[in-house]
Amino acid sequence: MSAPLPDLLAPGGQAAPSRARLYQARARGGLARQLRLWLPAGFLLLLLFACFVWPNIYPVPNPVRGSVLQAGLPPLSPGHIFGTDPVGNDVFSRILYGGQISFEVGLGVNAIGLLIGGLLGVAAGYWGGAADTIISRVLDVLIAFPALVLALAIAEGLGPSELHVIMALSVFSIPAFGRIARGATLALREQTFMLAARLSGTRGWRVIVRHVVPNIVPQLMTFSLLGIGVAIILEGALSFLGLGIPLPEASWGSMIAQGQQTLSASPDLVLIPSAFLFATVLSLNLVGDALRERWGVR
Amino acid sequence: MTDSLLEVEDLKVTFPVRGRELRAVGGVSYSVCAGQTLAIVGESGSGKTVSARAVMGLLPASAVVTGSARFQGAQLIGLTDDRLRQYRGADIAMVFQDPTRSLNPTMRIGSQIAEAVRAHRRVTKAQAREQVTELLRLVRMPVPERRYVEYPHQLSGGMRQRVMIAIALACRPKLLIADEATTALDVTTQAQIMELLLELQAELGMALMLISHDLGLAASYADEVIVMYAGRIVEQAPASRLFTRVRMPYTQALFEAIPRLERPAHAPLPVIGGRPPDLAALPAGCSFAPRCRSAADDCLAAEPPLAEHEPGHRWACWHPCGAGDGDAA
Amino acid sequence: MTSGEPLLQVRDLVQEFTVRDRGGVKGGTVHAVSGVCFDVWPGETLGIVGETGSGKSTLARSIVQAPRPKSGAVLFRGADLVALRGSALLRARRHVQMVFQDPFGSLDPKWRVRDIVAEPLIAYRAGDRAARRRRVDQVLDLVGLDPSSHGGRHPRELSGGQAQRVAIARAVALSPALVICDEPVSSLDVLIQAQVLALFERLRAELGLSYLFIAHDLALVKQVSDRVAVMYLGKLCEVGPGEAVYRQPLHPYTRALLDSIPSPDPAAARAATIIGGEPPSPIHPPSGCRFRTRCPRAAERCAAEEPALRELAAGHSVACHFPLGETQR
Repeated sequence: MSAPLPDLLAPGGQAAPSRARLYQARARGGLARQLRLWLPAGFLLLLLFACFVWPNIYPVPNPVRGSVLQAGLPPLSPGHIFGTDPVGNDVFSRILYGGQISFEVGLGVNAIGLLIGGLLGVAAGYWGGAADTIISRVLDVLIAFPALVLALAIAEGLGPSELHVIMALSVFSIPAFGRIARGATLALREQTFMLAARLSGTRGWRVIVRHVVPNIVPQLMTFSLLGIGVAIILEGALSFLGLGIPLPEASWGSMIAQGQQTLSASPDLVLIPSAFLFATVLSLNLVGDALRERWGVR
Repeated sequence: MTDSLLEVEDLKVTFPVRGRELRAVGGVSYSVCAGQTLAIVGESGSGKTVSARAVMGLLPASAVVTGSARFQGAQLIGLTDDRLRQYRGADIAMVFQDPTRSLNPTMRIGSQIAEAVRAHRRVTKAQAREQVTELLRLVRMPVPERRYVEYPHQLSGGMRQRVMIAIALACRPKLLIADEATTALDVTTQAQIMELLLELQAELGMALMLISHDLGLAASYADEVIVMYAGRIVEQAPASRLFTRVRMPYTQALFEAIPRLERPAHAPLPVIGGRPPDLAALPAGCSFAPRCRSAADDCLAAEPPLAEHEPGHRWACWHPCGAGDGDAA
Repeated sequence: MTSGEPLLQVRDLVQEFTVRDRGGVKGGTVHAVSGVCFDVWPGETLGIVGETGSGKSTLARSIVQAPRPKSGAVLFRGADLVALRGSALLRARRHVQMVFQDPFGSLDPKWRVRDIVAEPLIAYRAGDRAARRRRVDQVLDLVGLDPSSHGGRHPRELSGGQAQRVAIARAVALSPALVICDEPVSSLDVLIQAQVLALFERLRAELGLSYLFIAHDLALVKQVSDRVAVMYLGKLCEVGPGEAVYRQPLHPYTRALLDSIPSPDPAAARAATIIGGEPPSPIHPPSGCRFRTRCPRAAERCAAEEPALRELAAGHSVACHFPLGETQR
């Protein structure tokens, strides 16, 4: 018994704005909207290219085998755009290789969370009952662990390495995705088209793959973009504490830790990796927001 | 018939959407007199709700509103929100379709009505409470004292709508606009609410403006009926006359499409094909011409003007339906 | 019209679900459907009319076992759907399809029209890919859509009427015997509503469908149905041929419904008395006859004893201790 829906399709077939959009009419054109997405996305793409592709096609100084003779050079020195650290490593190339680590950890942690956590969440939301109870409790246990403490424990126990960092951070990215996926699936389950799909004869697993997944992907995608930022920061923190990527390998976090020691003499050793960390996470958040705006995810 | 309370003249509302311009209301003029019940009928996209909200200043900022809407002589279009608030609730009140969304779910009923009372009058808390109980009694709410402390979700749809009406009546407005106020209600509850509105109108000497997609409702309860299509008025007549002497083919199509108890089962219905036009790309001539049975070349060429062809009966059509019974029961 | 066995036999269907306490509203067991019995014969349209809380939508879903009713039997072509599980249920349910109220809600927003209509064909493995494509085109054509231009669209690119046509196309793709329509036109504008109703009638004739047509509008239900059943708070009040129910309503609630419907004919006077009160909560239905709290004819017996559905005239049954006499309209 709701008010009639608008039937505003022009004979030519172009869909006219629905009544809902009528009342949210926006005057401004697309330029601002496009910039909001492509400016940060462009920066990220540039950074990805710089970190992963550039060192393979253009020789950069070795990030770990610098010569002591070159130690402590300031930024904009010849051959070293960002200068060198106290041991003689080129900061610029350490930024690039550190960026590789950051992106690998960020993407790895979120991929694991998305696949495993997403799967568990959808299963819990769709089937409910016992499956839901068991999975939810498991996820609750995982999420109850203080993230950093757990990461410390794993690092202490297994030794610091990139793989262990990814493992540690996945412990709470899985339940995070699990909860989002479960909530989204629960909301979706009440929709009439889910019932219609079942009445059409489509069986359970196929309903999940063809109906549930495509409809929750926008939510999960935007969540994972933010998650990458979080994972990068956490990797930075772990490395800063000496429990992430071990020296002398480059990582933005350990670079900041190292730079602490010579903060007054060469603040750029802290500022440069911090700036990159900040810019990367900010861009990820902005892209996440822009996509959320476009896809209408709440 | 006393002087007109509300006089709307050549009201136009356009919305810019994604680079195109949507003409929601294209030059609408009408008036409402004190004590009169005017119904504005139309389907989605006809502009009936947009025009009422334009008068009340309730459209989004992007809407472009031109024309005039005078309430007791004072121009409402173009007023700032502050100035409009003096009229809203006090002289003109509006009741909307979905009471669930118009009521604050975390506030008690009594507080919400009291809020409306205190918005326009300086009264003490005790006086406000008294007035609220009085209002609840006015809208025939059973056991008003108990309702005062209840929350919206504890009430049924019909009762929530009574609360909305109570809020609207808080300051005894001169004009009450009911925008699809009974659409979401059961037919029995709808009948109760409509009777209530008419009783209140008689008691308080209010003017009542009914906005609805239900032509049957309008013809049954209103004195005067306006039919809108694609943002324009296409026919206006007293309710009794509209039914027996319908002129505009669109109005006739509406009458024919309404389900009627008198019709035998499976009776073939005259069906109008097509859909309402795209408001951003309106055809040159009459907006209804592409779907009209009586359309001719001149209908597609030029838009027919709204004129009073018979006393008290206006229509906008080059080839109106013949004289006599417009109902195809 | 009818011959042999009924297509659908519903016997003592009971559906209940529990709601938890929320805010100030106590929870409990909602008695949505309490012992409903009726038949649908091949080729006929049985209309079920009821207001909010009548349980009509729950009834529809219980028939297709979504979810399974608490008790009772649903015999479709002799096979009890309630007793079936898994693939047996799937096979039996193939010939019972459903069309829902919200055209957009019943279509997956991420799917294209062509895939939506093909889904039942794929699920039941009806033919190879080429045969399915032909069938989809055929069925889209049948409902008045153009396969080449509409087939590739997403639901958001369709109008309300078009989306409902897609839902109907999906429902008839497998040539079902029975289509359950749960308020299929309530969300549509009046003129589009008439188009879709005409489509229902045409499909009925061309495909030999039987319908269970559920709506809250008695005039609408009567117009499309051969027989009409009136539902109130989980129980059937009256069942009979449409004309008989309209001209000689036996149940006071049916009378109240008829009186509440606004007629566009100004000559038809509004009923002097309209029914008061609100429907009671389905969590605590009144003892005995559930309508007694609002019934002008209620007596002691009505509270003590629940009236059973009994046949008073040819094919016309009523559940009332004091049914209305011969009342000419």
